[in-house]
Amino acid sequence: MTQNVQDDDGSGAKDGLSGDDQASQRRMIEDLFEGGLETQVDPFPETDKEFSKLLDQLRELGPEDLREKLVVSGWKLTPHGEDEMRCQECMYYLVHKRWCDLPELDLPAEPEWWCRLWRI
Amino acid sequence: MANLLWLQGGACSGNTMSFLNAEEPSACDLVTDFGINVLWQPSLGLELGDQVKTILEKCISGEIQLDIFVFEGTVINAPDGTGEWNRFCGEPMKNWVAKLCDAAQYVVAIGDCATWGGIPATAPNPSDSEGLQFLKREKGGALGGDFVSKAGLPVVNIPGCPAHPDWVTQILVAIASGRGGDLELDEFHRPKTFFSSFTQTGCTRNMHFAYKVSTTAFGQRKGCLFYDLGCRGPMTHSPCNRILWNRQSSKTRAGMPCLGCTEPEFPFFDLAPGTVFKTQTVMGVPKDLPTGVDKKGYMKLTAAAKNASPAWAEEDIFVV
Repeated sequence: MTQNVQDDDGSGAKDGLSGDDQASQRRMIEDLFEGGLETQVDPFPETDKEFSKLLDQLRELGPEDLREKLVVSGWKLTPHGEDEMRCQECMYYLVHKRWCDLPELDLPAEPEWWCRLWRI
Repeated sequence: MANLLWLQGGACSGNTMSFLNAEEPSACDLVTDFGINVLWQPSLGLELGDQVKTILEKCISGEIQLDIFVFEGTVINAPDGTGEWNRFCGEPMKNWVAKLCDAAQYVVAIGDCATWGGIPATAPNPSDSEGLQFLKREKGGALGGDFVSKAGLPVVNIPGCPAHPDWVTQILVAIASGRGGDLELDEFHRPKTFFSSFTQTGCTRNMHFAYKVSTTAFGQRKGCLFYDLGCRGPMTHSPCNRILWNRQSSKTRAGMPCLGCTEPEFPFFDLAPGTVFKTQTVMGVPKDLPTGVDKKGYMKLTAAAKNASPAWAEEDIFVV
């Protein structure tokens, strides 16, 4: 049986992942961007049809395809656009777990990050 | 005693099935305790063929006083406005409907099909279906927008797919016990007593709605179904979470998004692929926001709610 564990900062970690695993995944994401990873930030899926197409692409990826997940989702480590869109306000973001709960992504995330699957 | 006649047009019988599941009062209680005399009903009537026709003719002539005429299903006009696709007792049902509505003290439309056309009237509406006094949101329907029954009320619309049995029995009891004049109706002729609040009113997921935590897959007990799974609870007028189904639950409590079936537009987006069980968005913002909330306010509310969200809101708090 999986249990929540406590992060270093006291917040609950994602179910089934230790705080260390979560921190390690977060680090991997940051490392990829530090290494110059370019993601497909545009076009933003204006309608649900386009949104669904991106989800379909993500579903074809395996759980280990971190790089490709980030590319398809247009992941960024900064807010996006004039409105400063960011994970913090996204429907899929769990603010205490610091986690993207969209099943097709299911990744650690920071409040100031963003991706084009953002929805409010 | 109040005489009640119930007919079906373009219908699946779902509202009859719902009505027959009524409890406190049950369909039988309506007869034994509330003085409703069921002249004929498609699933209950013993009469067949000409015997039914005779009942209808006596109602129209006034030989039998028709106190309550209940209609379930659409009025079918195809082909070419004749209504021949739905014949009953020797003539198009639409003709019977017109004559019986003129004869009745009260006319009650049960279910979406009878109220505003429902699924059969979805584009391209091959059966040329409409409700008794509405076609979707447009007033008119088979009887015309100005129709009032002998008691002075327009068609009393009890929508739903199906309507909850209590909505039906309580309105019938109100009419049969002489309180029909007390019914207050909204702009779509729905009794306000049931249709002023929202489906969301009483939903067990309201805390998750407030803190903007989304359900992201069917079967999850945490989260609100509005944000991702297309729930229309915040925009739909119904008492589904106040008057529970089977006295037990509701769609949203059970993890099923509200489809908005008590609203005239149902089924929404003409059932286009990808529109059911998926919140429709434009640039990441829901197309349909909770009633009375504008986009700017919604975005501000979301930011504030996310900032204030407690840790438990991200957990499944139902431990049974």
